[in-house]
Amino acid sequence: MIARTVLFLWIAAWTVLALLWAPLVPALAETTRVLYFHIPSAWISVLALGWSMFHSIAYLRRRRIEHDDQASAAAELGLVFCVGATVSGSLWAKAMWGSYWNWDPRETSIFFVLLIYGAYLALRSSIEGEERRARLSAVYSAVAFVTVPFLMFIVPRIYFSLHPDPLINSSGKIQMDPKIRMSFFALLIGFTGLFAWMLSLRVRVLRLARRFEAASAAPAGSAA
Amino acid sequence: MPTRESSFAAVWAILRKECRSEWRTRYGLNSALLFAITTLTAVSFAVGRLGDRTDVLAALLWIVILFAALASLSHTFVREVEGHTQTLLRLAAGPTPIAVGKLLFNLLFLGVLEVVTVPLFMILMGGPPPHWGTFLGVLALGSVALAVAATLVGAVIAQTRGRNALFAGVSLPLLLPLLAAVVSATRAQWTGNPVTFELRLLAAYTFALLAASLLLYDHLWED
Repeated sequence: MIARTVLFLWIAAWTVLALLWAPLVPALAETTRVLYFHIPSAWISVLALGWSMFHSIAYLRRRRIEHDDQASAAAELGLVFCVGATVSGSLWAKAMWGSYWNWDPRETSIFFVLLIYGAYLALRSSIEGEERRARLSAVYSAVAFVTVPFLMFIVPRIYFSLHPDPLINSSGKIQMDPKIRMSFFALLIGFTGLFAWMLSLRVRVLRLARRFEAASAAPAGSAA
Repeated sequence: MPTRESSFAAVWAILRKECRSEWRTRYGLNSALLFAITTLTAVSFAVGRLGDRTDVLAALLWIVILFAALASLSHTFVREVEGHTQTLLRLAAGPTPIAVGKLLFNLLFLGVLEVVTVPLFMILMGGPPPHWGTFLGVLALGSVALAVAATLVGAVIAQTRGRNALFAGVSLPLLLPLLAAVVSATRAQWTGNPVTFELRLLAAYTFALLAASLLLYDHLWED
């Protein structure tokens, strides 16, 4: 409860500071502010999909259904944050490049990630039986994450892209204004906390749903 | 734990078994060839001869191959489930040799498909002559990539409901990055540009998928 309040106050305060206190990057002008939301979204989606792979492998090793809850909840949230990164990027592209969608390598590769994890959800929904669903989705999730480094990091860096990380992040070093950097990292931490909270909620819902199902199935089974 | 020699023997036996059961009915190959030729006819009829539009040609060539592959590559696993022969097969070999044997069969299958489709495509669409060495290299690497991804997805999908519809839907997202690289390599060899970059990307992606699937095949069929 306290942790949640602190988290919300933290995000709210730093959002205000990011919009009012931090300066703008000259080349990006007013659109600078998207970076406080766009980059954390992209980062959290990679984190979430990695978390999903980690628990998928853990499931395949230990066969405990709790790992499947974590894996599926993380994949769903990863997809949500990936949509967030795509939409905020697309809005930014409209402001800077003049069109919402132009198949820039960045846009193409994030779109592939969306499709790959959309397929994960489609796959899950079509497998019957808890154990089989957990096992097959875990196999797919582990393979799907293999493609993420290619799509998120390798392809956009080697193909020519108009994406502006050279402006704020050239040669692997972070060259931001100190105020921008501070707001950015504060919000990165804040949104990561938000993700952790959402994940725990989703996992609890899944656990309760299973317990409810077991409880409502048990009397019918004993009566028969 | 099976020894290395027995695993190789199992892979070889699975490959031979797949070839034999395919040869008996030729159901998979016939439908895939028919599919490829129909797609090719539809494309050729719709756009006519493209001449030197190599950008369009490269995309169309791979779309024809992809369609035919998607129509048939899940077949090896689905056949076991539908014929209720999966349990028997698993008594004979471990999951990884079965999957590797089926992967090799799919590769062979794609090879046969391309031997028919690609020359026909060249004749009907009338593109400029390709740089044969590079072109065949791109074709080979693209086929390996296609087979690796499709075999893995086919193995997963065979145990689901509505498997045939789902196969295209689930494997296409994994195949799209490969398709993008292979189309751009095919286009580059036509225009005489270097293709090393695309080939390297394609090889790395395929290798990563192959490594992951070899580690995961063991977990496909435990019940």
